[in-house]
Amino acid sequence: MGDRILLVEDDDPLGSQIVGHLRGAGFEPVWWREGRLLVAGDLPDVSLVVLDLMLPGTYGLDMLKALRTFSEVPVLILSARNDTLDKVRALKLGADDYMTKPFWPEELVERVRARLRRPTLQKEQAVVEVGPLRIDLQGHTVQVQGRPVELTRVEFELLAALARRPQEAVTRQWLVEHVLDPEREGTERTLDVHVSRLRRKLGPVKCVETVWGVGYRLVPGEDA
Amino acid sequence: MKLRLRLALTAVAVTVPAVFALVQVEHSVRRRTTDEVIIASTMSQMQSGGRERCEAAPETWMVRSRAQRPPWEREGLPDGNGGPPSNTPRPNDEGPPKLGARGPLGRRLPPVSLYPFDGQFVSRNPQAPAMDEELRKGVQDDGVGVRRYSKADGALVQDLLLRMPWEGGPCEYVLARRVEPAESPEVGLPPLYIWGVPTFILLSAMVVALGPVVQRLRRLTEEVRASSGSGYEQPVTVNGSDEIAELARAFQQARAEIQARMAHQQAREQTLRDFLANTTHDVMTPLTVLQGHLAAMQQRMRAGEPLESGLMLSAMSEAHYMASLVHNLGAAARLEAGAPQVQHAPVDLNALVSRVLGRHQPIARPQRIALESGVPATPTWVMGDETLLEQAVSNVVLNSIRYGREDGHVAVVLESTRQQGFNLRVIDDGPGISEEDRSRILERRFRGNEARTREPQGQGLGLHIVHNVVELHGWKMTLAPSEYGGLEVAFTGPLMPPPG
Repeated sequence: MGDRILLVEDDDPLGSQIVGHLRGAGFEPVWWREGRLLVAGDLPDVSLVVLDLMLPGTYGLDMLKALRTFSEVPVLILSARNDTLDKVRALKLGADDYMTKPFWPEELVERVRARLRRPTLQKEQAVVEVGPLRIDLQGHTVQVQGRPVELTRVEFELLAALARRPQEAVTRQWLVEHVLDPEREGTERTLDVHVSRLRRKLGPVKCVETVWGVGYRLVPGEDA
Repeated sequence: MKLRLRLALTAVAVTVPAVFALVQVEHSVRRRTTDEVIIASTMSQMQSGGRERCEAAPETWMVRSRAQRPPWEREGLPDGNGGPPSNTPRPNDEGPPKLGARGPLGRRLPPVSLYPFDGQFVSRNPQAPAMDEELRKGVQDDGVGVRRYSKADGALVQDLLLRMPWEGGPCEYVLARRVEPAESPEVGLPPLYIWGVPTFILLSAMVVALGPVVQRLRRLTEEVRASSGSGYEQPVTVNGSDEIAELARAFQQARAEIQARMAHQQAREQTLRDFLANTTHDVMTPLTVLQGHLAAMQQRMRAGEPLESGLMLSAMSEAHYMASLVHNLGAAARLEAGAPQVQHAPVDLNALVSRVLGRHQPIARPQRIALESGVPATPTWVMGDETLLEQAVSNVVLNSIRYGREDGHVAVVLESTRQQGFNLRVIDDGPGISEEDRSRILERRFRGNEARTREPQGQGLGLHIVHNVVELHGWKMTLAPSEYGGLEVAFTGPLMPPPG
């Protein structure tokens, strides 16, 4: 079973929909139909709270304020109001993220996932493993399916830059400025040449993906 | 209180005390003068034989002097008049003072009687008036004792006790008594015709002079009432250059001001009404499409036909468009309201881009449009209104998706520049916008209905908001053909200065 998620939502159709989608995405939702002024110990063991700001009884912001006095659990705010002040206030009170209604269920699940994933991403890892790739950032060595691969300095820096932000697209401009040798007047063309060489060396596994309009991204890849 | 009544009352309130005070001053001056005259004449009388006569018969000595005139009218010193008093009064003494050729002020003083007193303030003359402490004290301290009192019939009695320039004898002190009859002009106010007539004339003149003023004020009041009744359409007449004309002018100015404000208010209300009507129309159109799609789906389901993915996608797209539209309307309302409604707080553009992608991904994916983004590794902080900025970026992205081709691409690229700035680009490979339309979007201030149509290329309210938000934040926006054949919209602006 996945992470337990507390949903505080007073609207029945919306609440049951969200519960359904969270369950479908592999989470275990707990649904409260009203806001409560929480004190330490009231909060069930959950990994994340989805909180609607407009609640009967207790206003969502008050509930958030009370919650933050004893818990650091991530809170995702649902807001119907298209008002920045509310969001700024919620973020100040310790909310981690917000969503404005209406939203697609997919969007919500994505945000919940991103929020739950975050803490592990913040650590700088010495060794990054992406699919068949194993990149030792300190030892400057790369293995594909256990087989060591020889890379030039620029090729390794390129791979390392992508490996530090797996699943995220890194812009070509950033790579040109931070990876290529500054003395050699690097251009995006040069970058593309390096990338194609790197791809060839990494063999059949297609890990370095071109992101249209943006740059490149490291993905687990699929065997060709 | 009416103006005239108030003025008349004020005049009376000022005049009466003033007249009273003047009369008091005049009385006191006259009294002092009279005292001096009596003292001087008594002294000279006593020194020129009066003493001898007095000391010869102190039991019966008593003088009734001839009536005296005030010093400013007298031709000479009063006659010393002595001798045993006779009961037959002299012709000069009889009758009330005549108001004759000498006029009101030329009246004679009433007669003065003299009575002798010795060193112990005792008179041998039984007719002498009673002595009292006030007189004794006065003569011992100042050489002259003065006593004044009114008799029961209103007559004013004036007693002056004088010390003679010799010692001893029954005539060491002499009391001079003068009695002013009650009807004498020295008692009370001067006659009414002296001060009453000028006062009355003055009052009448004031009241009459006020007539035209009051008239003009009334006319002005009527005009102002008529003007306010006509919604401040009707002007008031201004003539002359006095204070009333000034008042009329001030009202004219106020009227112009009110009219301007009313016109402004009416224009705003009209805008609001139009806005509401158009909004209703704008929301109703996609809602109708959505209802149509849902009904079609239901019919197909009932007929057992498989659901068409295109229909479903279109329905989703309409719902998505509606949500965006309502957000845009909210943003437009806030932009219209101006600065107070706009927040100024730190915004992380990385998170903003991620939210925009998250919002539109569910629509892009089924249309087989790849929606991608690239942001710097660390947060990109700018100052601004998060909701408005997100809406602006969102509008551009949604435009690219809506008008993108199947299997197309939309990318959002955020980069920081070396000059403490950022560069946010939305690139697509869709049909793009012609040169002509591009400049039109940037140059033209979309207003009212022009900004609200969905066509062409959807640069309606959405792009209008983008333009305004960018302007509000002091950013720059450029539209150019992208290197992939579509459109590239670029935003540039300053990063938030690093804290501290």
